[in-house]
Amino acid sequence: MVATLLFVSVLVFVVVRVLPGDPAIVMLGLDASPDTVARLRASMGLDRPLPVQYMEWMGAALQGNLGRSIQYDVPVAGLILSRLAVTLPLTLMAAALMAFAAVPLGVYAATHHRRWGDYLTMTLSQLGIAVPAFWAGLLLVLLFSVHLGWFASGGFDGWGQGVGGAFKSLLLPAIALGLFQFAVLARTTRSAVLEVLREEYVKTARAKGVSERLVLFRHALRNAMIPILTVAGVQLGQLMAGSIILESVFYLPGLGRLALGAITARDLPVVQGVVLFVASVIVVINAAVDVLYGLTDPRIRYE
Amino acid sequence: MTLLGRLALMLLVLVTAAGPASAQGTLAVQIPTEPPGLDLTASPASAIAAVVHYNVQECLVKVDRNGKLVPWLADRWYTTDSKNYTFFLKKGVHFHNGREMKAADVKFVLERAANPETKHPFQKRYEIIREIIVKDDYTASIALKEVNANFLLEMARQGSVIYPREAVDTLKSAPIGTGPFTVADWVRGDRIVLAKNKDYHVKGLPHLDKVTFRFIPDPNSALAALKSGDIDVSAFGLGPENVVDLKKDPRFQVILGDTTNDVILAMNNSRKLYSDKRVRLAITHAINKEEVLKGAMFGLGRILGSNVDPLNPYFVDMSKAVPYDPAQAKKLLAEAGYPNGFDAVLRVSPQYYYTVRTGEVLVSQLAKVGIKVKIEQIEWGQWLSQVYKDANYDLTIIGHAEPWDIGNYANPGYYFRWDNKDFQALYRESEQTVDDKKRREQFARLQKMMADEAPVVWLYMHPRLVVTKKGVTGIWKDLPISSMDLTEVAWQR
Repeated sequence: MVATLLFVSVLVFVVVRVLPGDPAIVMLGLDASPDTVARLRASMGLDRPLPVQYMEWMGAALQGNLGRSIQYDVPVAGLILSRLAVTLPLTLMAAALMAFAAVPLGVYAATHHRRWGDYLTMTLSQLGIAVPAFWAGLLLVLLFSVHLGWFASGGFDGWGQGVGGAFKSLLLPAIALGLFQFAVLARTTRSAVLEVLREEYVKTARAKGVSERLVLFRHALRNAMIPILTVAGVQLGQLMAGSIILESVFYLPGLGRLALGAITARDLPVVQGVVLFVASVIVVINAAVDVLYGLTDPRIRYE
Repeated sequence: MTLLGRLALMLLVLVTAAGPASAQGTLAVQIPTEPPGLDLTASPASAIAAVVHYNVQECLVKVDRNGKLVPWLADRWYTTDSKNYTFFLKKGVHFHNGREMKAADVKFVLERAANPETKHPFQKRYEIIREIIVKDDYTASIALKEVNANFLLEMARQGSVIYPREAVDTLKSAPIGTGPFTVADWVRGDRIVLAKNKDYHVKGLPHLDKVTFRFIPDPNSALAALKSGDIDVSAFGLGPENVVDLKKDPRFQVILGDTTNDVILAMNNSRKLYSDKRVRLAITHAINKEEVLKGAMFGLGRILGSNVDPLNPYFVDMSKAVPYDPAQAKKLLAEAGYPNGFDAVLRVSPQYYYTVRTGEVLVSQLAKVGIKVKIEQIEWGQWLSQVYKDANYDLTIIGHAEPWDIGNYANPGYYFRWDNKDFQALYRESEQTVDDKKRREQFARLQKMMADEAPVVWLYMHPRLVVTKKGVTGIWKDLPISSMDLTEVAWQR
């Protein structure tokens, strides 16, 4: 885990500095004199050798100091935390909507295999996979915001304005964000359950006279959980990454938009900080999923 | 109740909570990018000017909505030789922290701008100041090293805003000035809120109590926000493709005006091909600017023939100087040694999407005279680095928004890499000419030179496109200077 993070830190550091684009020129624009640009570059420490810059950054990062944003002149760590207040709930909401919709639907399809319920589910999931997130977002805005006026077209007033209002701002983006992952998870659930329902021990349980309900929930589902959990875990990471587009559509002040803006403005400390942070989160999530396996499947125990 | 029923009820409750309402006296304005700080002395970004310039901080002199220089924080000024100026400051003007503005503040601000340590983005323009003498609390004398025709204009621009020395440290996050609004809140990533300055030095203004700037980068989102009532004004967010539709909508009004943004097709004069005037003129003749305007901008905007735009008092219409003439273009190309045309790469940045659309129209026009152009879309940071800094390009399209930026053509190091000694000499002369008639004549000659030599192709002036809810009054129609002046904006009763 540490090795992965170290590798990621070196990679993002190098890539961001090797890419063409000078933060000083981006900041000062088309009418600045070369002297002013050079002076700003020097004050940002960008003219020192790369390894020196890296060691300085890494050293500070290990102490929780991710530097200061070139654009906003505030600590990067604080900036990330403030944006997390939007992206984290958004991601979790999308994940919850996705899971609570996909798993039951997948189970339903599997238990009504080759009947109209199954076909309906497959069609829905096909739509979910085909529709791009930003388009789904725009359609939702068009219907619920512009036409019906039930929701704001975007923006986030903050948690201080009441939990209900905050959730309301995140509902449409969460639906659009979770749509693709919902479709994938529904299909995964369906195939996992179908597969398990074909197993010998399920036939045995039925022969013993166990109720269909118990067969499904006590026996089949627990075994189907492993592939479902794997996919869901990977999807959580993808949801976080996917929020970047929807945060632009719904103009939410989240982590994704911060990263996008920082890349355009060549705000190197922010880009590095965000990438390192997101990479760490994904690594942790993967580790957590591994632990969950141990809990659901007694055959795989973590020592 | 079933789970489904419970979910449905929850949804219903969420949905019926009251939506946003624009109270009279408050205004929600959309801008596409969040300002990188609010310090006009640290960055030239137009996003900062949109929020701060003339709203929060003001200058001695102001460029009004008609492009005229009018007295502002200075009641009047006086000069006999255009080298020594005496400014008489308005009395009783207070900064937002309560302190009265004095001549010493003017001295501090201008000296700080000229100081290289400050890293003021336009520091070089203040080097012309030799000395500033504070005669008394309301009188400041500024002595220049030489006569400069732009000095008064420079005093009206965003780099010359007057602020108190004790507030230098807060310039970036909560700037203090003398303007009609104060910075009330900045929720990073989401909005900036300005509040009415009750002690504003112009009685009866501002009309608005509160202004909220929302950062909405995507034009579709901006359109949705406007239509759903979440914003009242979209200033720089919508393009001509959205405006055409909105004109027909009775809920909104579309304000179409002029700007100082000249959109050009730049040619790399340092490359052998484009160093030949005949090739440059051929390219100019090959372009049908009417079609470009129709195809790229839905017909909105004005065709240009030189760098000077219609809002400039010395504007001469050079748009017909090098007319659309593909036959002449082919002839010139043959003379220059390219009877079968040549290949070229056009680099544009989709960040400014009108440049991409413009490029697409140009490609087909240039193909007709044998010039095969390939469009390469590159990211903005890369454009700045490769095209602007390193001049590593054949052709590029970009809009230059600054007013009075003709000086770029007298700079052989600028990314056009055009080095014309006659032009440079005449330009230098014009910088030191204060006699209006004489300067007008010099500018006419400069514009003719630009049209004759065709270092770049001036395509069109990008229009000002503001869309507001019906009932919003006082928004500037034209944009003679980078600002989103809300001083006189109000809701019609």
